[in-house]
Amino acid sequence: MDRRRRPDEDLVSVATTTAVRPARISGWLGAATSTDHKRIGLNLGVCSLVFFLTAGVFALLMRTQLAQPDMHFVSDDTYNQLFTMHGSTMIYLFVTPMAIAMALYLVPLQIGAAGISGPRWALAGFWTWLSGGLVMQSGWFTADGAGRAGWFSYVPLSNATNTPGVGQDLWTMGVILAVAGMMVMAACVLVTIARRRAPGMSLLRMPVLTWTGLASVLMVVGSFPVLILAMMLLFIDRQGGHIYTGYTGAIDYQDMFWFFGHPVVYVMFFPFLGAAAEVIAACSHKRWFGYTAFVASLMAFAALSMAVWSHHMFTTGGVTNQYFAFTSTLLVIPAGIEYFDMVGTLIGGSLVLRTSMLFALAFFLQFLIGGLSGIFVASPVLDYHANDSYMIVAHFHYTLFAGSVFGFFAGVYHWFPKLTGALLREPLGKLQLALMVIGTNMTFAPMFVVGQQGMARRISRYPTHPGWGTANLIETIGAGVIALGVAVFLANVLVSLRHREPAGDDPWLGHTLEWATSSPPPRLNFERPLPPIRSYAPLLDLRHEAEDRARATHESSS
Amino acid sequence: MLAWATLLLILFAGNWITDDRGVNPAVAGFAALVIYAVGVALILARREAIRRGAPPSSGDPEAEPDASVAAVIVGLSVGCILFGLVWARFLVYFGAAMLVLALGRMAVELRAERRTLARAKGIREPSE
Repeated sequence: MDRRRRPDEDLVSVATTTAVRPARISGWLGAATSTDHKRIGLNLGVCSLVFFLTAGVFALLMRTQLAQPDMHFVSDDTYNQLFTMHGSTMIYLFVTPMAIAMALYLVPLQIGAAGISGPRWALAGFWTWLSGGLVMQSGWFTADGAGRAGWFSYVPLSNATNTPGVGQDLWTMGVILAVAGMMVMAACVLVTIARRRAPGMSLLRMPVLTWTGLASVLMVVGSFPVLILAMMLLFIDRQGGHIYTGYTGAIDYQDMFWFFGHPVVYVMFFPFLGAAAEVIAACSHKRWFGYTAFVASLMAFAALSMAVWSHHMFTTGGVTNQYFAFTSTLLVIPAGIEYFDMVGTLIGGSLVLRTSMLFALAFFLQFLIGGLSGIFVASPVLDYHANDSYMIVAHFHYTLFAGSVFGFFAGVYHWFPKLTGALLREPLGKLQLALMVIGTNMTFAPMFVVGQQGMARRISRYPTHPGWGTANLIETIGAGVIALGVAVFLANVLVSLRHREPAGDDPWLGHTLEWATSSPPPRLNFERPLPPIRSYAPLLDLRHEAEDRARATHESSS
Repeated sequence: MLAWATLLLILFAGNWITDDRGVNPAVAGFAALVIYAVGVALILARREAIRRGAPPSSGDPEAEPDASVAAVIVGLSVGCILFGLVWARFLVYFGAAMLVLALGRMAVELRAERRTLARAKGIREPSE
């Protein structure tokens, strides 16, 4: 025993291929203070999931209020708080952090790194984000209630005159904290990709999910600081600072908000696209088709998505509609390439229709509805008709819920064995999928119809109008079916963890490096030497080489 | 990263040509600048970030901290400061004090990490 050794040095492992030491702090405290990227990713994922359930409860309360015309289940003010906190919780506290959690957990494994760059920063980012979530939700316990000016909190609606009360201030601070925390974690992922790739892992050998993670974190680093600034100015404005004054102030706020608000849609989409792509490739037993085109289109997609923000402001009259309509329509090209690659991967593959694969296919099919409806709202002429109606609600729920959340579940079913060493139950998974597909389409498809007929969004009551009551009732029942699907998922997780079916290290014959290590991976990720990396699917290469060798041996012996 | 930032700059220039409002070039220019800055910082930190092709094999050990109480307190204290700005001023001072202590503790942790790494390198070199 080295007598000069200080107690702090026990908190450090040295990353080599063999020297693996367990964390010195165990139990809850160990989990809370761990700088292991897997633990931070898991903590972030689990907390995001809790926020998802919270946002789901808000959604069910809203849908109950809207089940029939002129309902009085909750007051107008409570309804305003519910839709504000539903949107805010889903975006700042569930989908975006879940995308980052996935990157935190999987990217170092996929690039063959022993850990993440700046692990302390990542841990501090997680706790900053969690503080933000709690500060935001603490508004419910104030006299005036939680934030109630929408997840965007447009000025002048969100100023102190129109939305008085501490709840809105807490919302503002919560957003700053949550966004700052996510930005720090994303920066750690970015530096990890740039600096800690394993020998042989060139940029064009990085797996598809890592590329989608890279595109996302680049957008985070570029756009999130602008929202933090916008929110700080909003807070000062609410304290009497007169920052956003008049029409120009309102438009400037919207510009700053949507400079974050549109890229974040893609931050909430790309990692789940990557997850679905990995699942489809693994379940088709084929390489992802058109890898280089996919990477190029992804980066073009990311750049374009940073240049379309004002299409959310077509009807304000304060922006150059032509430019933003042009860039928004251009998004069709990279999106088309990605769909083409997905179809190309499926063609000729030996498909295994596991739950993860079905979720991934549902992701692509349902996102298509969201994407196609996005094409016509990218046209200012049509957007004047659709703006602020349920058409828009349907459009973005088809992209974010029917798309991203399904991609998330595809990822969960695919990587759960890697995270826990246990398999999720397939029958329960398929039941969940069925419930969620039915529920999602029951909830969001009728919104296109009522939106087209002029039903405005963010209203707590609506008049008796032919068809609106029936359509809204179907939507409410659909929301209940989704909730049932989520309950089945939670039951599946519980059952699968209590009565474990051992998964083994590579239950799906995966293509990427995370499947070359144990399940769950050890503290420094890889105890065995990494396989040679000659492409973006190194384990598939190994299997092909083994097959070639076996064939050659067979031919020579015969 | 630099190429991507340049692509962004071209797109933003298109917007600037068609729209003369100040806020758009300001936010867009800021975003491009951040991406360029991160790219340049990575180059300065280690040229490996921009080297073409695959990273070479390296036998050097890398330090991986197992836990950091300081990082947790940094995150919580920032939350405490911002919560205090809305709720109660004493939380701002409390959070600031915690932040200073946590940063100090983090410096201790980083020093310990460097020592461990140096010791690991020292053990490895004689054996090689």
